[in-house]
Amino acid sequence: MNAAQFLLSLIDASGGGIQGRTLLQKRAFFVSLLSGIDSGLGFDAYYYGPYSSTLDNTVAQLKNLDFIDEDDTPFGIISGGFEMRRYDYKLTSQGVEVVKKLRNTNEYRSIHENVEKIEAAGNPNYFELSIAAKAFFILRKQRRPMSTEEIKREAEKFNWDIQPHSLEKAVTFLQRLELTRGAEKA
Amino acid sequence: MSAGLEIRDPIHGFIYREPHEQDIVDSKAFQRLRRLKQLALANLVYPGANHTRFEHSLGAFHIAGRIAARLLVSPADSRLIRLAALLHDIGHGPFSHVSEPILKKHSQAGKISLKPKQQVHELISAQIIREDPSLAGLILETDRIRIVDLLNGEYGYSVFKEIVSGPLDVDKQDYLLRDSYFCGVKYGVFDLERLVNSLTVHQDDEDKFLAISSDGVHVLEQFVLAKYYMSTQVYRHRIRLITDEMIGRAIGLGIEVDGIGWLKRLYSYDGSNEYIAEYMEWNDERLTTKILEEPPETYACSIFQRLRDRRLLKCILDVDHNELSNPASRMMVFTGSDDFHRPLEKLIAERWGYDKNLVICSPVTFKSAARTESEISVIGPVRPRFFREESTLFSAVNLAINEQRFQVYAPAVYKDERDHKRQHREFYNEIIAMIDKLSDPQTSLSLDK
Repeated sequence: MNAAQFLLSLIDASGGGIQGRTLLQKRAFFVSLLSGIDSGLGFDAYYYGPYSSTLDNTVAQLKNLDFIDEDDTPFGIISGGFEMRRYDYKLTSQGVEVVKKLRNTNEYRSIHENVEKIEAAGNPNYFELSIAAKAFFILRKQRRPMSTEEIKREAEKFNWDIQPHSLEKAVTFLQRLELTRGAEKA
Repeated sequence: MSAGLEIRDPIHGFIYREPHEQDIVDSKAFQRLRRLKQLALANLVYPGANHTRFEHSLGAFHIAGRIAARLLVSPADSRLIRLAALLHDIGHGPFSHVSEPILKKHSQAGKISLKPKQQVHELISAQIIREDPSLAGLILETDRIRIVDLLNGEYGYSVFKEIVSGPLDVDKQDYLLRDSYFCGVKYGVFDLERLVNSLTVHQDDEDKFLAISSDGVHVLEQFVLAKYYMSTQVYRHRIRLITDEMIGRAIGLGIEVDGIGWLKRLYSYDGSNEYIAEYMEWNDERLTTKILEEPPETYACSIFQRLRDRRLLKCILDVDHNELSNPASRMMVFTGSDDFHRPLEKLIAERWGYDKNLVICSPVTFKSAARTESEISVIGPVRPRFFREESTLFSAVNLAINEQRFQVYAPAVYKDERDHKRQHREFYNEIIAMIDKLSDPQTSLSLDK
């Protein structure tokens, strides 16, 4: 399955739409990880968490090919005075047509199962999922079991300011997905 | 140390260099850029397009100095920005961007580490700047490291990198004007003076960014249009696309089918200094000569003979993505990569009796401006806004930029114009049918394994 097929499948399995670029990135990261599907997204650890430039380019390409729609909604002014916008993605009718043909594949089924797992494990929003991704990054890097406090201290080295209650929530999410064990093994 | 020099440049007039900068220009590493053409074989379309990375790098250096002065960057940082612009292309190999995918494919992944969006030639540039002996004696080690960091966006404010590499960078500001001039076209012309004078710095709590003042919106529109027109008329010219693909295919087959050892070594970057020392000996002319010295029956040699004699492959199919009405076909053609294109090339070759290695399927996509120019900050009297919000032209241009085409090249021969038209109708109908057949979900999934 290539990156475009993966992305269309992910949006479809998420109910036909995903709200926000960050949520899309982080959800794609976790679903890739859990499903083991190598679609060439190549997530890299950035200071703001895992990010795939391939995914970003694939989104732009699928928009151009009329398979997904992007809507943007303003949501306030940030530091520097800019108006920030949230970008939401949904499948077009042609995108649905393509994805229908993927639904019988094992890869699609695995993506769907793992989207459901994420939802069952607390269905974190984009912010919570970002923290979980950062915590997972630290666990994988350290290759050993770590306490929440240890993760927080390690996060500070990356200038990630993670609040303890957010971190607790993230670790619980990772535990429910059995990703803390995966991190120990990694 | 040399005396500082002024040099005449057809684009910028006089370019002034300090003595230490002149020494860098005179270094062996920088002089190699004289032997790397800026536009590879675009001279087969535009005979004047023989300019090189050497003069382009000088041009970028010149504009970087002007911008740094305008933005009141400190003298120390200004010097680094100028040097970063001067050296930004130092790691290009023969035929520059054309060979990048081959470098990416054959470089030793275990020994090098590419950052997201980083290209192999950028990694090579960084290593040359840090370690090349001809530069090491001219630039302090701390500065060499800072220059590499600046090019990676890891030194100083974001604005430093954005001057050298970003939506408004000096690279584009120079190459649009220079390529336009040497190709003899006017598409890339924009008001450089106005653009430079509109640049400003936008600051938030933590960082500083390159931005334009609100009275620079129109010149930015002109700049974006220049980039678009140059893309359609020069960078994506049909013949240029064919020659680029032929160079890439010749080198790829030279490594993978002909088994040419020296060619494989040239494209197998491993991060070692030995590799870099050897790499620095290569340029367009040497690569062409060496390939033409290979046995004529090798693919590499025979394709380069075609290029030398301008016996180019023909474009036998050229469709806009909207012409592929079957969504599955569109999906596979534009996102299917080699897994889809190689079997299609084989089918086409079998149907018309071509050598399958001389049939090339090529999706031609434009990089969307949605994530680049659209987010340039425009500093207005009330609050900053993004360029896309300020420009009435931008959305239309961006829509045009988003066009995606699919082309197929092959060694077709036409008896006359009538035969040309007849064959093209045949190519169109049959290749579209082949694409639809290959895109069938059962077929595509088996190809995907």
